[in-house]
Amino acid sequence: MGSAGLPLFDPLQPPSRRGRRRSASNIKGKTKGGSSARTDVKPKPVAQAASPPPLKQEAPPTLTVSALIARVKCALADAFPRRVAVVGEISNFKLHSSGHMYFRLKDADAAIDAAMFRQFASRVRFTPADGLEVVAEGRVDVYDPRGQLQFYVESMTPRGAGALELAFRQLREKLQREGLFDPAVKKPLARFPRAVGVITSPTGAAVRDICRTLQRRWPAARVYLMPVLVQGEGAAESVAEGIAMLDTHAGRFGIDTIIVARGGGSLEDLWAFNEEIVARAIFAAVTPIVTGVGHETDVTIADLAADVRAATPTAAAELAVPDATEVLRHLASLHARLHRSVAEGLASAAADLRGMLRSAIFRDPAVGLRIRHQRLDELSHRLRADLGQILSQARRRLDPAGGKLAALAPARLAEVARGRLDRLAARLAWALGARSKRAGDVLAVWRGRLLAVHPAQRLAMVSQRLNAAGRQLEAMSYRGVLRRGFSVTRKADGAILRSRGDVTEDDWITTELADGIIHSRLSSPPGGDKSDHK
Amino acid sequence: MEQEKLTFEEALGRLEKIVSEIETGKVPLEQSIERYAEGVTLIKQCRSILETAEKKIQLLAKDQGMGLEVSGELDPLREE
Repeated sequence: MGSAGLPLFDPLQPPSRRGRRRSASNIKGKTKGGSSARTDVKPKPVAQAASPPPLKQEAPPTLTVSALIARVKCALADAFPRRVAVVGEISNFKLHSSGHMYFRLKDADAAIDAAMFRQFASRVRFTPADGLEVVAEGRVDVYDPRGQLQFYVESMTPRGAGALELAFRQLREKLQREGLFDPAVKKPLARFPRAVGVITSPTGAAVRDICRTLQRRWPAARVYLMPVLVQGEGAAESVAEGIAMLDTHAGRFGIDTIIVARGGGSLEDLWAFNEEIVARAIFAAVTPIVTGVGHETDVTIADLAADVRAATPTAAAELAVPDATEVLRHLASLHARLHRSVAEGLASAAADLRGMLRSAIFRDPAVGLRIRHQRLDELSHRLRADLGQILSQARRRLDPAGGKLAALAPARLAEVARGRLDRLAARLAWALGARSKRAGDVLAVWRGRLLAVHPAQRLAMVSQRLNAAGRQLEAMSYRGVLRRGFSVTRKADGAILRSRGDVTEDDWITTELADGIIHSRLSSPPGGDKSDHK
Repeated sequence: MEQEKLTFEEALGRLEKIVSEIETGKVPLEQSIERYAEGVTLIKQCRSILETAEKKIQLLAKDQGMGLEVSGELDPLREE
């Protein structure tokens, strides 16, 4: 029988207890073996003992609960001899820490509890969740301890999304394409709203949370409540209308920000905020809207269309207004900065003034004059230094000239003359040898005298004597030449005759030869001869 | 200046501008003292706005026509 091997359990019991029960039922199952009729063996004596023997054939057989369940199981096994596949939406899904999954499979009109044990659940590729439509394959059986019908799932595949899920996705994609969720069209919230409009149910936790948060953070803002229906028939229309109304009259009430909110609930509970009409009303509003619908994990179409999406109603209120404590701190810091900067400005102006008063020009007006004097001194000093430099440069240029000048001084001349005499004497000695020794001696005498006299007199004497000596020297020096056959002709005054024009007719001339002198007188020459000797 | 009509945001914005102007030293000393006085006034205004606490919530309802009116006050905190 199919029923014999099926695990039985109670989803509400811990696994250990379930295990015990299961093994108990298994033992029971084993005792009864393959036949359900034998299950009745044990209770039967009790039943028979308690009741009189069956007298009337019409009376229904009296069964123990176990016997009844056993028969039902048997009948089920006959009806569903093999595995069946069931289409349904998952709800109340729970994944137990043991790895078993417990949930319900439902459709519009019916539901059945389902269980999927770990060995099967581990093979499921997707994450089952509420609202998901699946095709589950398994066996139908009765859970004995409760007499409950149960579907034991052995494999499961998703079959698209649940109807609501699908609707949500379809609408989200449509509005996305239309640009209702475009970040570029989102309006920034007012920094310090004068008044906040709240669109939610006037009863319940959401309005309380929002008002408490608004008053705690920013008590200066007035709060206007637009009561709407947030759940059930007509909720979407009510919310959409509330948004449009409040937005239209926001200016009159000074409403700078609108909060659209609803507390947590199931997907069905929040459904109004997933409807197109609400999304469009939010999108159309001129006033910035912050939404806070459901819990953190719920994201509705309204959230996507809002200018700012908050996770919860409280979070929406926190985003709508600033924290007064922080703003007061900011004000205090502005106050301090204002005070400090003005104080610093004043202090620095005062310091400037003191500095000016302390400066020398105020303490001693003459100081300016002194400074100018000092400058003048500096300049003249520099000028002097410059002059000195110019002079010394000039002097340096003059020095060689000065040397020349010194050389021209009489004493120096005498020395030059002496030098020349010395040199001449040397030349004399060389040229004349012993024969000129006397002359050399004379010269030496002269030299001695020259050295004794005053430089100025010496100069004159030297000049005269030098000429004479020179002539003497010259006269003596040419005699060697005369010996070679030359002669020297002189005029009467002794000057050497060098040119024809030096003599005229009747002039006496002397001709010196190596061994004597011939005196001659010029007469009219017989021919054109240059020198005529008579 | 018509400072009486300033909203909190306007007052704070003006105050922030004054402070940064004086801080950068763009304003001559004499003017900065005038601005200081204005800044102090603005700070007082901001504080007084912050100190006004609206305890009640104004309940809105549609009026006879297409408009909205305040239909009453609500103190949701006291209700609990």
